[in-house]
Amino acid sequence: MGRDYSPVIEGGFFMQQLVQTNLGIEPTVLVEIYRQMARIRAVDKRIQAGLSAGQFLFSYWPMTGQESIPATLAQLINARDYMVTTYRGIHDQVAKGVALEGLFAEALGCIDGVNKGKGGSPHISDPSSGSMLTTAIVGAGAPIANGLALATQLRAEDRVTVVNFGDGATSIGAVHEAMNLAGVWKLPVIFLCQNNQIGEYTKIPGYTASKDFASRAAGYGFKGVRLDANDVPAFYQGMKTIVQEIRRGEGPVFVEAVTQRLGPHAGVGDSHELSAEELKAAKEAWPVPRIRALLVEAGVCTEQHLAEIDEAARAEVEQAITKALARQATPKEEMLLDVYADPSVPPRRGHYPCREAEAAHTGPTKTMLMLEAVRDAQDLALAQDKGVFLLGEDIGDPPGGLFATSKGLQTKYGQARVRPTPIAETAIIGAGIGAALVGMRPVAEIMFNDFAGVCLDQIFNHAAKQRYMSGSATHVPMTIRMMVGGGIGGFGAQHSQSLEAWLLHTPGLKVAFPSTPFDAKGLLLSCIFDDDPCVHLESIKLLRGVRGEVPLADYRIPLGVAKVRREGSDISAITYGWQVQECLAAAEELQKEGVSLEVIDLRTLVPVDYHRVLESVKKTRRALVVHAATEFCGFGAELASTINEELFSTLKAPVARLGADYAPIAYCREIEMNQIPQAKSIAARVREVLAFKE
Amino acid sequence: MSTPLTIPRLEMAMTEGVLAEWLVADGAQVNEGDLIYTLETGKAVQEIQAPVSGRLMQKAQAGETYPVGTDIGEIV
Repeated sequence: MGRDYSPVIEGGFFMQQLVQTNLGIEPTVLVEIYRQMARIRAVDKRIQAGLSAGQFLFSYWPMTGQESIPATLAQLINARDYMVTTYRGIHDQVAKGVALEGLFAEALGCIDGVNKGKGGSPHISDPSSGSMLTTAIVGAGAPIANGLALATQLRAEDRVTVVNFGDGATSIGAVHEAMNLAGVWKLPVIFLCQNNQIGEYTKIPGYTASKDFASRAAGYGFKGVRLDANDVPAFYQGMKTIVQEIRRGEGPVFVEAVTQRLGPHAGVGDSHELSAEELKAAKEAWPVPRIRALLVEAGVCTEQHLAEIDEAARAEVEQAITKALARQATPKEEMLLDVYADPSVPPRRGHYPCREAEAAHTGPTKTMLMLEAVRDAQDLALAQDKGVFLLGEDIGDPPGGLFATSKGLQTKYGQARVRPTPIAETAIIGAGIGAALVGMRPVAEIMFNDFAGVCLDQIFNHAAKQRYMSGSATHVPMTIRMMVGGGIGGFGAQHSQSLEAWLLHTPGLKVAFPSTPFDAKGLLLSCIFDDDPCVHLESIKLLRGVRGEVPLADYRIPLGVAKVRREGSDISAITYGWQVQECLAAAEELQKEGVSLEVIDLRTLVPVDYHRVLESVKKTRRALVVHAATEFCGFGAELASTINEELFSTLKAPVARLGADYAPIAYCREIEMNQIPQAKSIAARVREVLAFKE
Repeated sequence: MSTPLTIPRLEMAMTEGVLAEWLVADGAQVNEGDLIYTLETGKAVQEIQAPVSGRLMQKAQAGETYPVGTDIGEIV
C-alpha cells in the first residue's frame, strides 16, 4: 500500500495544528491508521464471507473489534522491529506488513504460503516483516519475545519487540515468568495485552478477580499502562510515548489495550458470549466506523476519499485471495522436510544413513572431569562466536552452576554473556528460543531434566516445532543442557529420572547423551553450532565421577555417530549415558564366564545411528538394549523393535531390553540401586538372552 | 462463473448444520452481503451472507441437516 493519499486539509501548517488539537492526533496519521484498519477489516470480511459460503475451509479466530491496536502501532514501528502474536492475530500480521497473498496461501495450506502451508493460519512467521512467531498456546509468546528483546539488547540495537496476547493469557504462568525476567533484565519489550474482555468462551470476571491487568506490572518493577484502544487518538499518543521509551532502553512496559471482541472465539459472525445489548453498545464503540465518521466530521477526509480507501483495501484483499486460491496445496513429499535443516535426520524405517565418524585427535590433551570438559566446550564456544551466550539458574560466579559447569566463565566473559536467571525454566527456554530465532546461539541450562516438566511447552511446542511450523522461514539454533540424576542415591523421585524418551518422541529436537569427558566436549560443541535445537544430557554421576583425556583444542563429534566401546562376538549391548560404564563392567564380569559382550555407545539418540547398531548386531546376532530410564515405553522399545524387524531372520534370540522398573525413583538407596540397571543385573539379563532356545 | 454455496464450518468442532430457512426465493437476485439463509449449529443460529451478487439457485431443502461441505446452492 503506497501512502499516496493526502488529507483534504488546506491552509498549511496552521490548519494542520488546529485540526490536530481538535482530534488529538496529526490528521495524516489518523488517515494512515484508518487505512490499516480498512485493510484489516477487508481481510476479516473476506475470510468470513468465504468461510460462510463454504468457498474455503480453515480455522479462523476472528479479531473483529481489535483492529485499532495494530493499525495504530503500525505508525510507530517498522519491519526491523520484532513482533510475536497469537492465533487470533491476523490483524497483527496485516498491519505488520506480511504479504496478503502469502498469508492467505498459508491459511489455505499451500506450498506458496509464507510458511509452506506447514504452519497455517495459527502459526505465521515472516521475518522479512518482523513477524517472528505466532503461537497457538495461550501466553507462550511472552517468554520468546524476551529472547528477541535480549538479542536486541546484546547487539545494542534500537529495535522494539512487541508481544501481543489476549486478556486470557494474563492467567497463565508463562506470562508471569516472562514479565519477571523482562523486569530483571530491563528488556526492550512491550507486553501488549489486547484486553478484548473475553478469554476464549469466558468473560471477565469469570476467570479473574483482578480489576485491571496493567497494575500487575508494578509488582514486577516496571511501568504498566491501561489505554482505551477504542479511543484511537489517545491510544496513539500513549503508545508513541511508550515506543520512544523502549527505544531509549528504559526497560519493558506492560500495556493493557482495552477493547471489545465482537466475534466468537472461533468461526464467523457475532459473539455468542455478549448479550444483544452488550453487542449493540460494543458496535457503537467500535473504532472502525467511529474513526471513519470522525475523519469526515473533522473535515480531514470526504466520504469519497474514504470510499476510495475502502475500495483499495477490498481490491487488494480480493486480488490476494484470488491468487492464493489458485495456488497448489502443499504436497505430501514435503512431510519430512523442514523438521531439521538436514532431511536425513528424521528416523525412517529402512533408511539408516552411515554418518562419518570423527577423525582421531592429535594434539595436546589434559585430564578432565566431565564437568570440566563441559565447561571447556562452553568456554571455547563463547570465545569464538559472539552470538553464543549462557543462561540458567545460578550459572554466574559464584557458584558457576550447581555442578560448576560454568565456573569462572562469567568472570571471563562478563554478565551480559553468562546470565544467571530467576528460578523460572519457561522464561529461560523462551529467552533462548527468541534469541536463537534471530541468529544467536544460546546455551540454556536446566539444572535437572526433571524440571523439563515446568518448561515442556517451550521445548516441545516452540523450540522443536518452529522450523517446521515456519517452513524453515525461521529456526532455533539453541542448546539446552540438562543434568540427569540416577545411580547416585538420595536425590528422590523428582531429581533422579531419565526422561530422554519424552524428548525423543518430539520431532524437531536433537538429543545427545555423552558417556565420557571427551565425548561431552565434542558433542556439546556440535550441539552449540548446530542449526537446530539440541538437548545435551549430562549425567550427574559422570560429571563428577569420570575423568579422561580431553584435547585442549576445538573438536566436534558429529551428531548421529555411535561408537563401539568394547568389541565382542556373542551379543551387543546398545546403551548410552552413564549406563555405558555399567555395561562395560558387566562385560568384564561376563568375560570370566567366556561370554563376549560388545558394547555400543549411541552417544546421540536423535539422530540415531541405526547403521552402526545394525552392523554390530549382524555380527553378534544377539542384542540387549540398556538404559537407566523406565523400561516400559522407553527408547529401548524402539531400538529393540527396529532391530527385530530388520534382522529377524539373522537373530539367535529376540532383542531384549533392560531399563528401570516401573516406579518413581526411590529416595532410599537400596531400592534405587535395584531399580535401575547395574553391572550385575545387566550381566544377568545377558545370560537370559544367551539361554534362549528356539 | 458461478459461486457455489456449501455448508460452512463455523466452529472448529462443527461437522454438520441445519439449513433452517432460505431467506430469499429460489432464482431471486441477491446483492453481496444480503442475508440468504439461516444456519443452525450446536452453538448458535447464524444468518449467512451472500458472498457475491447474482441470482441465487437453491439445491437443498430447508429444514434438513447437512454435513459440512454439502453443496446447497449457487449464485450465478
